[in-house]
Amino acid sequence: MILRNLKFALNSAWQSFWRNLAVSLAAVVSITLILVLAGVNLLVGHALSQVLDGFRAKVSEISINVSDDTPLQNVYDFQQQLVADPRVSNVKFITKDEALARFKSDPQNSVLAQQIEGNPLDAKLEVRVANLGDVAAIDTLGRRWSGVDPTDPTNYQGDFVNRMLQLSSWLSLAGVGLLLILLVVSVVIVMNTIRTAVYHRRKEIEVMKLVGATEWFVRGPFVIEGIMTGLIAASIALGLLVVAYPPAVDRFKSDIGFIPLNYDPAFISSLASDLLLAGALLGALGSYIGVRRYVRI
Amino acid sequence: MLLTPDFDTRPVISFQHVHKTYPTGTEALRDINLEVPEGDFLFLVGPSGAGKSTLVRLLIREEKPTKGKIFVDGVELGRMKRRKLPYYRRKVGLVFQDFKLLPNLTVYENVAFALRVLGEPDSRIQSRVAEALDTVGLSAKDHTYPSNLSGGEQQRVAIARALVHAPRFIIADEPTGNLDPATAWEIMQLFLRINARGATVVMATHNREIVDLLRRRVVAIDAGQVARDDRSGRYHDDFAKSQVRA
Repeated sequence: MILRNLKFALNSAWQSFWRNLAVSLAAVVSITLILVLAGVNLLVGHALSQVLDGFRAKVSEISINVSDDTPLQNVYDFQQQLVADPRVSNVKFITKDEALARFKSDPQNSVLAQQIEGNPLDAKLEVRVANLGDVAAIDTLGRRWSGVDPTDPTNYQGDFVNRMLQLSSWLSLAGVGLLLILLVVSVVIVMNTIRTAVYHRRKEIEVMKLVGATEWFVRGPFVIEGIMTGLIAASIALGLLVVAYPPAVDRFKSDIGFIPLNYDPAFISSLASDLLLAGALLGALGSYIGVRRYVRI
Repeated sequence: MLLTPDFDTRPVISFQHVHKTYPTGTEALRDINLEVPEGDFLFLVGPSGAGKSTLVRLLIREEKPTKGKIFVDGVELGRMKRRKLPYYRRKVGLVFQDFKLLPNLTVYENVAFALRVLGEPDSRIQSRVAEALDTVGLSAKDHTYPSNLSGGEQQRVAIARALVHAPRFIIADEPTGNLDPATAWEIMQLFLRINARGATVVMATHNREIVDLLRRRVVAIDAGQVARDDRSGRYHDDFAKSQVRA
């Protein structure tokens, strides 16, 4: 019986979609545009988070410069102290020679490296901090250590990190806000489409109710129609995004080179499931709300 | 003060001190007491605006009484949960003055609709629709659309739809209101046949000739009250007030 009812609902939804083609298409186009916007929002958000992840990895590592006259034992002790600290995930000791070798191996420093006499570089402890919020505390610890180079203690730039963190949280908040607005707008669009469909079929609904159809039997076709509208819109939006994503990334890269944005094909599949799910849910929710008031027995 | 005649059978429909006042303040029904035994054929008569339609709407639970109780088959309609309502409506066959057929469905599909809604299998739908159309004499027109049928034929389709799920009650609101006298008479014959098979029929009507000719139970509603309840009555009470036990 459930299968038969489902068949009836599917048929009925399909017929209704085509019978009110103009309204259905208007809804599909509007929701497609909204989902494209939502998709762009997700893609930009994803790109930003990739950039931020790289940035986080960089800033969660600080170098504590070791003064030249610090005894090696003192350095090892401090290293042990840091390793034992739960906030620290990894500590690496770079000797003066290693620091110099590293400096020379960077092609950007080739001219400068030729002019260097002796070794002006400090040995350093490279500390990877597990949680970005604890970097400042580890920095303070390093600066208070007796063996630190007083003229250039660490490479930590607290202000910059804090500002970037704040910016990223604002950006993600704005992204979520925009997504919410887009979702509400598309629910309203589906709602109105379904209301039009309900209006066109009010006689049929009246008869259904009089002959003893349950509320869900009456509602089902409209909810399915809403889901159909949402899924069609999501597929079109997804198609547009898949086609436009790679060239957009290329364009962005050539225009704003310093932000390391990359084409991420894995993200497309997660975007696909997100958009289709969102389309179906928006359609279902919009039509449920749209039909609820009118289909009460 | 009960106005109902005594019946041997247990009533399947029972109105107990029913009042209905619409939110606009219109008092449509006042202290209605009425009992309908199983298998009865009852005419509701009275001038327009007397409250007949309100009574029908209460009976199919499109409205709830403001005061009082309505029992149908032992269930109090005013207290019935909304989700139970479809199952109640399945026990009832409804026929209206304006037929309420779906114009985009054929005769067959219109009748089948009442069974589709119940989730019946196609094979059962086919045989029962064929039977119902045979009863109303429209087997030959099963693929016709309502717009190509006469008023009488459309009402027959509506009756077939009301019959097809074998309801225990038929509630008809002015079923002959849009029909010429000859057609109205044919439609009445159908209702009598359905009643003879055991279904209880409650019919609101303005059709004086038919009521007078059939001499069935007549309940006259006037100004929202039961003015008269005769076991084999006429449309107008010719013996004037002597028989009105009000």
